[in-house]
Amino acid sequence: MFKYLFAKNEDIPPGTAAVYFGFSSILWFVIGTGLGSFNAAKLAFPDFVTGSELFSFGHMRQVHVLAVIFGWISMAFAMAMMYITPALGNTKLWSEKLGVWNCFLWNIGLSTGLTLLWFGVTSGREYSDFPWFIDLYIASFIALPMAINVWMTILTRRTQGIYTTNWFFGAGVFMIAIVFIVGNSPEWFNLTGLSEAYLTWWFAHNVLGLWITPIAAAIAYYTVPKVTGNPLYSHRIGHLHFWSVVVFYSTPAAHHLMSAPLPEWLKSFASVEGVLILVPAIAFVSNLLLTMQGKWHMFVENVEIKFTITGVLMAIPLNMQGGFQQTRAINWYVHGTGWIVAHAHLALLGFSTFLEAAAVYYGLQTILRRKLFSLALANFHFWFLLIGFSIYWVSMTIAGLIQGAGKIYEVPYIDVVIAEHPYMIARWVGGTMVFTGNIVWLYNMYMTAKAGTEIPEGRLPHELAYER
Amino acid sequence: MAWKFDKPLHSMSDAEQNKKACDVWEGESLGGIAENNNRVPRAVIWLMVMTIVTAFAVTNPLWGQRPTASLYVDYVKLMDSPQVQAIATDKGKMEYIVNNAKSSDSRTLGLQDRHPLTMDDLHVIKDQIIELENKGVDLEEYTIIGPYVQLANFEGEPKADGTPSRKQPFWDKGYTIDIFYVAYFCIAMLIVIKRLPDYSWKPDHSVAH
Repeated sequence: MFKYLFAKNEDIPPGTAAVYFGFSSILWFVIGTGLGSFNAAKLAFPDFVTGSELFSFGHMRQVHVLAVIFGWISMAFAMAMMYITPALGNTKLWSEKLGVWNCFLWNIGLSTGLTLLWFGVTSGREYSDFPWFIDLYIASFIALPMAINVWMTILTRRTQGIYTTNWFFGAGVFMIAIVFIVGNSPEWFNLTGLSEAYLTWWFAHNVLGLWITPIAAAIAYYTVPKVTGNPLYSHRIGHLHFWSVVVFYSTPAAHHLMSAPLPEWLKSFASVEGVLILVPAIAFVSNLLLTMQGKWHMFVENVEIKFTITGVLMAIPLNMQGGFQQTRAINWYVHGTGWIVAHAHLALLGFSTFLEAAAVYYGLQTILRRKLFSLALANFHFWFLLIGFSIYWVSMTIAGLIQGAGKIYEVPYIDVVIAEHPYMIARWVGGTMVFTGNIVWLYNMYMTAKAGTEIPEGRLPHELAYER
Repeated sequence: MAWKFDKPLHSMSDAEQNKKACDVWEGESLGGIAENNNRVPRAVIWLMVMTIVTAFAVTNPLWGQRPTASLYVDYVKLMDSPQVQAIATDKGKMEYIVNNAKSSDSRTLGLQDRHPLTMDDLHVIKDQIIELENKGVDLEEYTIIGPYVQLANFEGEPKADGTPSRKQPFWDKGYTIDIFYVAYFCIAMLIVIKRLPDYSWKPDHSVAH
């Protein structure tokens, strides 16, 4: 990487930034899920690693969360943007050098931020835990350069039309900048009380709604038509999806605070909008599944499609949960329980992770012109991820329902802790399977870069998957 | 940007605009990807409509509300009546009370149906309700939470005495805003989609690919 930081832009091979982002994202995924497995072990076995403040759950939890969001997920997004945006405009990335610097500064900033969090330097607000100077760094050296590169690549495209994926990319980098600046305003302006609570959850909601969800969907809009060779089923549904994400996902922040003394009309407004996130979800799922017509065999045979369609299918339970769990009738029961933790993992480790993993698999093979080192290891990764995640999701959902019952019927807290214990062990088992799968993935992609069979000109990686 | 409105559900662009769009659509490959011009399937439109209706219905505070103390005032009054005392079983007593204390207001009746009590429950809250009645407070502001009758945690618009209203309305301005918001969205989407060439036109992907 260092040799390209000071090289001329034209001397940097196309795709370099995407490759660095791709490998960085996998590495952060290993770190993030490793921390997740460690934290889950602490919940399953309370005597595991005690006596050190640094390794206490309170210090480690947010490091896991932000490593996954800003390391794995967001860097995989950046990787996808660095190779998909130019590909869809029949052009090159506007600046590979900016992309390489972006990746370098991203890794430096994130490592610093997470280390500070680990040592207890935090804003204390969930999901926007980074202290203000790290927020400023992220806005200036992570979000802005990425946005400039994406926008300039779209502006300098060699096509008249802009494909659906690039609408989402172009809008997503704009929306995350707004979310980051406005969502962190309690810290810039020392806002407290309800304003702080509302903006904290406006940030948390929209990091998911205006960044992770639309960009993950945008990736699927690329992967499925590209790998299957089918045209996207409907340009019209693409419009419906894009605009409904912008309109309905940006508004329901108050549904995270249904029991807080916010104005009731705001909660009513947000709650209706919260159910309406099903509109983009229906559009997205129907468009992608209809695009698969005639190519369903690839769901079994092809790694990228397997990951992508699994992610698309997970959008169904994700949005059914997300849409309804925030309503007054359900929220009072599940609020503050493991149900929400399960839902958050369905969004991040289920839906979006499967879509991004497909983009990283496909992108690295295409850019490096190397066939996947081992299809068997990729399948191992897929199944460990899917089974591990499923164990996690199911166990935490059950634990959440137990907690909800305990909360409502005022069961002594320690009795709830005892009742949940088996599910906490299951959670650890599931999380550790995900972590193990990711180590295998890192090895597989490293070996792909080092020893993968070269892909001849004019061929695509998935066409050669079963050729020796 | 030529508009036409003679057949708005067909296309809102004129023939020239549509031809330009079709030429670009068929004439260029976006990184090897093509797009079809299929209509939004009827099933999807139906799901959207159902989602919008459900969004209002399911979030309405009419559902999921805790029972208010006022729902059971007539139940408590009947408890010690000679007619109830003459019934041998608690189940029979409760049936008599429910049948004779039915509200004439359909909304209250619905709430009574959704929050049934046993005689034991009624015994637990009876004294608390009588005490609150004697104080002269508005029992609609009090909710039944397990064995307790408590001031509702809802805080609405301020009353004349400056304290917040504890009665949750089943409609508020949040829903009104939502109606306009969703309506604007639907109109805007209709325009966006109907500015495209009609869905009967199928792009020929062999032109650019």
